[in-house]
Amino acid sequence: MKRILCTLALCTVPFLSACKKSGESTTGGDEKLTIALLPKSKGNQYFVTCEKGARTAAAELGAELLFDGPTSSDPAKQNEIVENWISLGVDVIAAAAENKDGLSTALRKAQAEGIKVITYDADAQPDARSFFVNQATEKGIGDALMDNAATLLNGEGEFAILTANLTAANQNAWIAAIKARQAEKYPNMKLVDIKPCDDQKDKAQQETTNLLSAYPNLKAVVAVCSPAVPGAAEAVKQAGKTGAVKVLGLGLPSENKAYVKEGVTQAVILWKVEDLGYLAVKAGAALAKGELKPGDTEFDAGKLGKLKIEGDNILLGTPFAFTKENIDQFDF
Amino acid sequence: MTTTKPSLKSLLARHEVVLLLVIALEVVLFSALGRRFLDGTNVSNIFRHSVEIGLLALAMTPVILTGGIDLSVGSMMGLCAVCFGIFVNDASMSPLVAGLLSVGIGALGGGLNALLIARLNLPPLIVTLGTFSLFRGLAEALTKGSKSYSGFPDSFLALGNSDVAGIPAQIWIFLLVALGIWLLVHRTTLGRSFRAIGYSPEGARYAGIPVRRNLSLAYVLAGAIAGLAAVIFVARLGEARANAGMGYELLAITTVVLGGTSIFGGSGTVAGTLLGYLAVAVLNNGLKRITDYQVFDKTISSVSNEMSGMLTGLLLLLALAVIPVTKALAARRSKT
Repeated sequence: MKRILCTLALCTVPFLSACKKSGESTTGGDEKLTIALLPKSKGNQYFVTCEKGARTAAAELGAELLFDGPTSSDPAKQNEIVENWISLGVDVIAAAAENKDGLSTALRKAQAEGIKVITYDADAQPDARSFFVNQATEKGIGDALMDNAATLLNGEGEFAILTANLTAANQNAWIAAIKARQAEKYPNMKLVDIKPCDDQKDKAQQETTNLLSAYPNLKAVVAVCSPAVPGAAEAVKQAGKTGAVKVLGLGLPSENKAYVKEGVTQAVILWKVEDLGYLAVKAGAALAKGELKPGDTEFDAGKLGKLKIEGDNILLGTPFAFTKENIDQFDF
Repeated sequence: MTTTKPSLKSLLARHEVVLLLVIALEVVLFSALGRRFLDGTNVSNIFRHSVEIGLLALAMTPVILTGGIDLSVGSMMGLCAVCFGIFVNDASMSPLVAGLLSVGIGALGGGLNALLIARLNLPPLIVTLGTFSLFRGLAEALTKGSKSYSGFPDSFLALGNSDVAGIPAQIWIFLLVALGIWLLVHRTTLGRSFRAIGYSPEGARYAGIPVRRNLSLAYVLAGAIAGLAAVIFVARLGEARANAGMGYELLAITTVVLGGTSIFGGSGTVAGTLLGYLAVAVLNNGLKRITDYQVFDKTISSVSNEMSGMLTGLLLLLALAVIPVTKALAARRSKT
């Protein structure tokens, strides 16, 4: 036993001695920025596309980009990655929060160490970051969905909404925006029903089939969660109502490409994800260099042009409609 | 029994020496390949990020020594984390009282395992597989799967994020628990009985050991320590959620077995578990320090972080493979 304890003690020596020599910098004398980009999860195609845009921005800036994120559902992983970056001595952290409050704890720590923090895609607590790169406001999304639906239906007819579940905060905010837009601009359109699909494609398909038989005059299905877009399309296709009942919604172009090309789905609404990653890195770098300060109302985002800042939100702009004509140009 | 004792002891010592070599190799390798691996804050992070798994491994050691297993400790962390959140946020208790209550809930859950395993003689694997779903399910039901608790006072968050005398605050608690478990397993008759039960429950019973009582105690203790791990986890994250500790039970079992404790029970040491814990913690942290690297003018994102699961698995399998080899060597030596 004594031998084991001795070896244990010996084993801790390198750690203890290591504690003393902290604070060495690896970046040396050069002024190269190190920017760390944190996705909600690493394998998600959405965030892989964000990374692509971020790499473009980092190359433009001559900055080093670190990209790391959780690969499991362990809620501690994002915090651990941020704390790892703090001890690596990065200059900027751009984060998409999976757990808003949990990640804020780690981001505050980063700020206390002098690291500039911005969030993108999903915000943390306001005191844990300087700016939030907002890919789309609630109103922006609601307006885009309603406007596209109205264009497809020439401003009149019945439509239904498919949502994730009736308590989802994001989805409910978008639905409220859709209703507001309809009341304001399209008096001849009528929202007949809102159905939950539990974020599942097959449930969305079932619900759409039910909607089609319950409302014979239904002209469009608007999906506000991504699995519901292909789900609704499959139901419309199987019911033989391709083109007669329009399908549109929030989703990834790649998941809907086949239906869009067949003419079942008319429009997929989303922001350009690559631009979101690009903007997050651009804004982070500008913040570190002092070019972007609290109180600014405009941000020059390189190839994206001048973007509006509302409060501490940098707005990416209006969402984009992916249609038959342009969907082949995107691979996320 | 008495004749095999010394050779068994040397065998265990040898397994621990193997682990020490592995840890030393990891430290050398990551200092060379990783970025600022031996930096003070990173060394703190190694322990800060893994202390919950270390606690669960300590809790699991007596259970596995008895020849049992506890798959429910990770789920128990989720349940205790949620309860803690409710106690502080909804019942406005002080974090200290809420923390003690959470440890109590952990002990209660462990008591349920103990009742089914020790009283009703049901197999531990099946019982804790059931409570694995039960505890997590309860946590999810309490929060409807989405609610999370935050807004804890800074004095509580300090437990997870500050240093005391240069060492992360939670590590002090971990060391205390480690000392407690070591004393229990290696210095008390109760602790020795765990191994006796693991060798042969019937034999232990005929030897006059209160098998049911002692077996129960191992599971109650495991639950209580899982509750403690949950409180520390919440203090580190500043958020209590139903998915706390997801998958940690398997990491804890890996750590214990890597440390040389037999999965069939009967043999193993707390020192081995601690070394197994160090080996896994250093590996997981070190892989994160190998970040992007430059090939000519192209930046290649390192995949070493993604290899942590694979390497942990390999490490475990290698460590297990070493045991029969050293056993054979020891047997040959005793013959000549």
